[in-house]
Amino acid sequence: MSEAGIRAKGRERIWIGILLFPTLLGLAVGALGSIAATFGLSFFDWDMFTPPQLVGLQNYVDLLSDRKFKKALFNSIAFSAMYVPATVILSLLVAVLLNRHVYGKSLFRLLFFLPVVTSPTAVGLVWSWIYSKDQGLLNSILGAMGMDPVYWLGSKMALYSVVVVNVWGAIGEGMIIFLAGLQAIPRDVYEASMLDGAGPVKQFFYITIPLLIPSIFFQTILSTINAFQAFDYIYILTKTAGGGSTVPTLVFNLYREGFNFFRMGNASAQAVVLAAMIMVLTLIYSHLQKKWGQ
Amino acid sequence: MKTLLTAVSALALSTSLAYSATEIRYMMWGDPPEIAVWQQLVADFEKANPDISVKVEVTDWDSYWEKLRVQTIGGDAPDVFAMDAPIYPDWQSRGTLLNLQPYLDANPDTLKGVYEGPLKAYRLADGFYGLPRDFQTIAMFYNKDMFDAAGLAYPDASWTLDDLKSAAAKLTIDKDGDGTTDQWGISTEVWDMEPFWGPVVTAFGGKIISDDFKTTLMDKGKALDAWNFITGMVRDDHSIMSDEELDSYGYDGFIANVAAMTFSGHWVIPAYNEATFNWGVAPFPKGPARRATLVNSAGIVIGANTAHPDEAWKFVSYVLSEEGQSTLSALGFAIPVRESVATSPVYLQQKSRGDHKLFVDALDYAIPKPSFRGYEEWSAAVGDPLSLVWTGEMSLEEALDEIAATADDTLPN
Repeated sequence: MSEAGIRAKGRERIWIGILLFPTLLGLAVGALGSIAATFGLSFFDWDMFTPPQLVGLQNYVDLLSDRKFKKALFNSIAFSAMYVPATVILSLLVAVLLNRHVYGKSLFRLLFFLPVVTSPTAVGLVWSWIYSKDQGLLNSILGAMGMDPVYWLGSKMALYSVVVVNVWGAIGEGMIIFLAGLQAIPRDVYEASMLDGAGPVKQFFYITIPLLIPSIFFQTILSTINAFQAFDYIYILTKTAGGGSTVPTLVFNLYREGFNFFRMGNASAQAVVLAAMIMVLTLIYSHLQKKWGQ
Repeated sequence: MKTLLTAVSALALSTSLAYSATEIRYMMWGDPPEIAVWQQLVADFEKANPDISVKVEVTDWDSYWEKLRVQTIGGDAPDVFAMDAPIYPDWQSRGTLLNLQPYLDANPDTLKGVYEGPLKAYRLADGFYGLPRDFQTIAMFYNKDMFDAAGLAYPDASWTLDDLKSAAAKLTIDKDGDGTTDQWGISTEVWDMEPFWGPVVTAFGGKIISDDFKTTLMDKGKALDAWNFITGMVRDDHSIMSDEELDSYGYDGFIANVAAMTFSGHWVIPAYNEATFNWGVAPFPKGPARRATLVNSAGIVIGANTAHPDEAWKFVSYVLSEEGQSTLSALGFAIPVRESVATSPVYLQQKSRGDHKLFVDALDYAIPKPSFRGYEEWSAAVGDPLSLVWTGEMSLEEALDEIAATADDTLPN
């Protein structure tokens, strides 16, 4: 694919360098700088007020017996195990449906994409009303059908409830990626298969899916990263009276550890573990893509 | 040319004025009505000290701590700021507060006549790094109209916790018979120990934490009776509003006129004065072991790196003076820390409704709200499992096991 790109020559290269410089500088200082700082801080005890103290690997050793961290790790893995497949499958289905000649296609695309561009804080408040135990929309419906109210955001159900909100919020982004992938599939492939007598279902499984493999892998990696980093909806929907959460995930836990309890070193170590997990998963995916994607 | 000259001389004048008064910055949490009273206090202070001007900055409770933290870490801490007793040891241990002992040694009369209860929380091994600005004790507020409607006698000093439990159950009513509760016995916060569980645990003869702050005790011994008592009220009687119910009534079911009783400090009186129903105040009910309540005090501290420590001290000592305390008690929120003011008509005959003396008398049976290093993390380790008991998702035994396994690890002392 890279062979098809346009290559810069001569003076153009210098101009590209100059024009990219501000962005690259921001990336280097902002992103790489804070990654390096987080990595470095994970070997220190630091409460943000007094000078950091070198403790070596102690923060990492402590994580092994940290009940809050283990609980958060479990929650994040459970969250991802539901969120990633649901996001990929649903956004693929939506993209396939909206790639046809449907009446009001643009409107539907807009509606599915809307959650991506709205503020999670505002939308989170709407969802908290839907899920509310006493005055909530869902429980009113259950009540009208003669069923007992469910504590949607309590510690038993909250994991599922926030997965639903996060998937709902992510379908739009996945849809855009899959629509781009779908439109890159040449029409004549479908026409040829039609002549051979393949119906829409066969076409979907034997043409659409195989040709979309790169998009599917890309979307899976993106969803995995988003899943492990999910924070905003979880913070708004599950925050409890004392600043805790009914489903504390990794990012929620390290936020509280660092900014509420002033254990920056410990929070940094958790962030490094989180980054390492995402990196390993990404490597596995790209390995699988190389194996199956050809 | 003439305009330029005027401009230059105006500039010179204004800079000389600016140099003549040292500006100090005082940051505190609070509500809009509190700002007006503090500005009155500052105006009086500036009149007596023309060489000092005080800039008051007020933020709400949550953003206050966020702002203070960011400014302190950024080396731009306010010269003087408000402090909450439980987390004072944490702030002090991070080297952010100025030791006031040298000033107190030079002015030994500063603390004469200040109540020992609030003072105790700010006394550390090597002196005071802050002083109490006002204090709060917890009392019971009750809605007279709801008691009348239920045909119950008003609570008084003879009330026990058992009286409280049975009255709360009787006052929890489904008025329209649709299967959901419309009126609760009690609206109180059960996460924080201050309004309810701290006094109840103590009244049952239990302890919250050991005197050296190394061992959690609220999950052991007599305290267990208290937890069974509270769990019975929350889970069996449903007479205490849940967190979600509180949320839908602005976190105060009492002023929303849906709860018959609440436990709170004097700080609610200005708001409750506006209530459309009749209410009264009674002491916290007696338990099997004793009568108890918690006393907590807001403090005033000086930043460790202030450029104007002397001016800051002048302001702090003015806040604690009889004059400053009188101005503040007119606010009606808190109780003055100076005995002469707390027992004077300025405080006792303020225009808001309520028995104001009761809150001062509570000092006789009050225990200080614990204040120690690691307070916030400890409260989370204790409060998070308990909140799952109140929502019915965890048994009391499981929660207490969880607390026993985690709470002591948060104590660095």
